[in-house]
Amino acid sequence: MSGFWLILQKDLYAEFRRPESVIGMVFFGFLLLVILNLAIPLGSEISPETGAGILWVTITVSSILGLSRTMSRERENRCMDGLLLSPVSVEALFAAKMAVNVVLVLLAECSIIPLFFILYGDGFFTSLPMLVLVVVLANVGFAAIGTLFSAITAGTSRNEALLPLLFYPLVIPLISITVKVTSMIFQGAAVADYSSWLYVMIAYGCIFTGLGFLLLDHVVGE
Amino acid sequence: MLIKKDQMVLIVAALLFGVAIYTVFVYAPTELVMGPIQKIFYFHLSSALVAFLSFFTAFVSGILYLIRKDLKWDVIGVASVEIGLVFTTLVLITGVLWGRPVWNTWWTWDPRLTTSLILWFIYASYFILRSSVERQDTRAVFCAVLAIVGFVDVPIVFLSARLWRTIHPVVIRAGSIDMAPEMVTTLLVSLGTFTLLWALLLYQRTRTLTLACRVQNFERQLDGEVL
Repeated sequence: MSGFWLILQKDLYAEFRRPESVIGMVFFGFLLLVILNLAIPLGSEISPETGAGILWVTITVSSILGLSRTMSRERENRCMDGLLLSPVSVEALFAAKMAVNVVLVLLAECSIIPLFFILYGDGFFTSLPMLVLVVVLANVGFAAIGTLFSAITAGTSRNEALLPLLFYPLVIPLISITVKVTSMIFQGAAVADYSSWLYVMIAYGCIFTGLGFLLLDHVVGE
Repeated sequence: MLIKKDQMVLIVAALLFGVAIYTVFVYAPTELVMGPIQKIFYFHLSSALVAFLSFFTAFVSGILYLIRKDLKWDVIGVASVEIGLVFTTLVLITGVLWGRPVWNTWWTWDPRLTTSLILWFIYASYFILRSSVERQDTRAVFCAVLAIVGFVDVPIVFLSARLWRTIHPVVIRAGSIDMAPEMVTTLLVSLGTFTLLWALLLYQRTRTLTLACRVQNFERQLDGEVL
């Protein structure tokens, strides 16, 4: 467990020293919010479905910048070898890296989501606790797959450029569920109407976190 | 001259294909509403079966590779994903061809269509991953992981795709099949033929890839590399 905290601390410390991941994600997310505005006809109101779609396309596309960094950072100066030689289990390594990803994406979202409400209207802002819940559940799913696959892409010749190609096909279901739930929250629907989808999101997070724990050992062993 | 066993299977498969085409076009009755375009269904469903069998094989061989670390399972995995990708493409193409006259649209965001398309993306990325790793054993591990994660994703993809409304016909429900008996026979013949074709392709591809692997190793030895 101490290994988990050490790696988490180390990565967050490095990020606070030079916040390249978070700033990159926020800047790119802001840019995407502006670019996606091109898809909306001038002067027309957007529906909650469109709003939810814009928000999550922005978050998923910008978060790839942070997700790909966590493992490729260890590749430089062969830090990964050092981590594997240290008395830290691979499970703790996975848990720590996944936690780092969840925290970094969450930090970026703390800026992107308010920017979304400013740019696209705060009429969508209905329930903060449910929005936070959906954001956290989605982050766990993204981080689980992102951590496992950024470990894989860090071991390839194309490095970070490969991650989006592997990551997006696998997270499309999670994105579509998240967009659905978010649009229902934007409409102010009752929790009972979408609670079954929240369970699917929880299941998704659990399944891929479990797979990450099982499979990371094989991936970094190479 | 003796005919080898795998050549025998090839001949049987070719003959069976003749039978399957005959049953589809001559034996099976023409559907009342859709007309002859419905006949594409027999090969459409059979291709879907082959694709599923392939991805399942890739999933199992992925697990076996990670346990045993025997490159044999990697080769079977690649062969399966190759075949699965080809047949998923066939499913998508036959579906689009059928959808244009019947649904009056090439494409619709129906759960089954969406699922097949996302599957196609997942397994196409398998080859992109494969082409970007040089070392044989590293590549095998990465590909095994992707085959496992991809297959686990399939039911979730299908579940999430239900968010879009469906207009895909459900022909086979639990306990009943909404088809004329001749159509059922035709479908079974097609399914059998395609399964045999799948086994044959998998065997041949595995053998070719194993030989290619050996040739590569010999070349490396000749270059004086230590394996």
